[in-house]
Amino acid sequence: MKETLLIKHAVGGRTFLDSHKQACEYRVEETKTGWKVQVKKTFDANIAEILKWKDELNLFLFQEEPGKPILKIWFYVHSGPVTYDHEAGELTVVADSRIAYIPDSFGSSV
Amino acid sequence: MKMIQRYPSNSRYLVDLGWLRSGLSFSFGEYFDPENTAFGVMRVCNDDQVAGGKGFGPHPHSDMEIVTVVLRGQVKHEDNLGNVAITAEGQVQRMSAGSGIIHAEYNASETEELHFLQLWFMPLERGGKPSFETCSYDCTRMVNQLLPVASSTGGEQIASINQDMTVYLCRLEAGKELVFTQEAGRRVFLFVIEGKLQVNEHLLRTRDTARIQAENLLQLATDPGEYAYFMLIDLP
Repeated sequence: MKETLLIKHAVGGRTFLDSHKQACEYRVEETKTGWKVQVKKTFDANIAEILKWKDELNLFLFQEEPGKPILKIWFYVHSGPVTYDHEAGELTVVADSRIAYIPDSFGSSV
Repeated sequence: MKMIQRYPSNSRYLVDLGWLRSGLSFSFGEYFDPENTAFGVMRVCNDDQVAGGKGFGPHPHSDMEIVTVVLRGQVKHEDNLGNVAITAEGQVQRMSAGSGIIHAEYNASETEELHFLQLWFMPLERGGKPSFETCSYDCTRMVNQLLPVASSTGGEQIASINQDMTVYLCRLEAGKELVFTQEAGRRVFLFVIEGKLQVNEHLLRTRDTARIQAENLLQLATDPGEYAYFMLIDLP
């Protein structure tokens, strides 16, 4: 399965992180209250923008499997926290909930 | 300090994707100006023209009050809450994105162009329950008076929005005048949809906008032989 992590500005859609274009290690973990997304990435202008617009992020996982339509999983980031650990070089985004949908068959969310 | 900032139509950022032509009043998509991301709680004013059979595929929104004023044609909305609706001229669509909604919006016609204004506002509170409505208004009631089409209180023929604000539409006939009182600390966003509108000492033409603060009284007038169709938004 091919998976892409995207972090975008919810107002206007500027892309701050695209794991397909900027290779980076990440992991998504379900917690008791939502989801935690951690990304290993050197601090740069895009990380700064993510922190600046932390209340207005669209965080996605796009999952593609051969012969199947793309599955998009969108995460709702309410109050985060959204933090960056300079020592570890790691961005952490805590999301409250998520919605998965298949654009090709919209109307039948999964 | 009294202030009316006039934005001529040609100062807007223009997008032409073939199927979509858009005039952007605020940073959006490929246009990003860190000095132009908001006016109070207002974040987006897109003047969109969508070709027949085209539109925006499924995408999410959260914590934003989105009002769509249809000027010509019909927009079809579909969302993950099960709402499917077609909104036409004489109607507005209000979507409170709250904690998250996935929606798609298309030109409902395969042949006719769709033209609408899409407005985004920050909500009073984040994390609310997502919801959607369409609302019809009587176009004759906007002649020579400000007709509220979306407001915090809602009402008959008024969409209910989760923010302390009101969106008005008005068709001002030739040689007419209206006065709008701007309360202290409030903002007014003006968008001339068509025609020529005199706003105090400023003349706004088709697609011009103005951002107004601390003016107290706004005299909105048309010259003899001219008319104006405009949107006025009173917001914090």
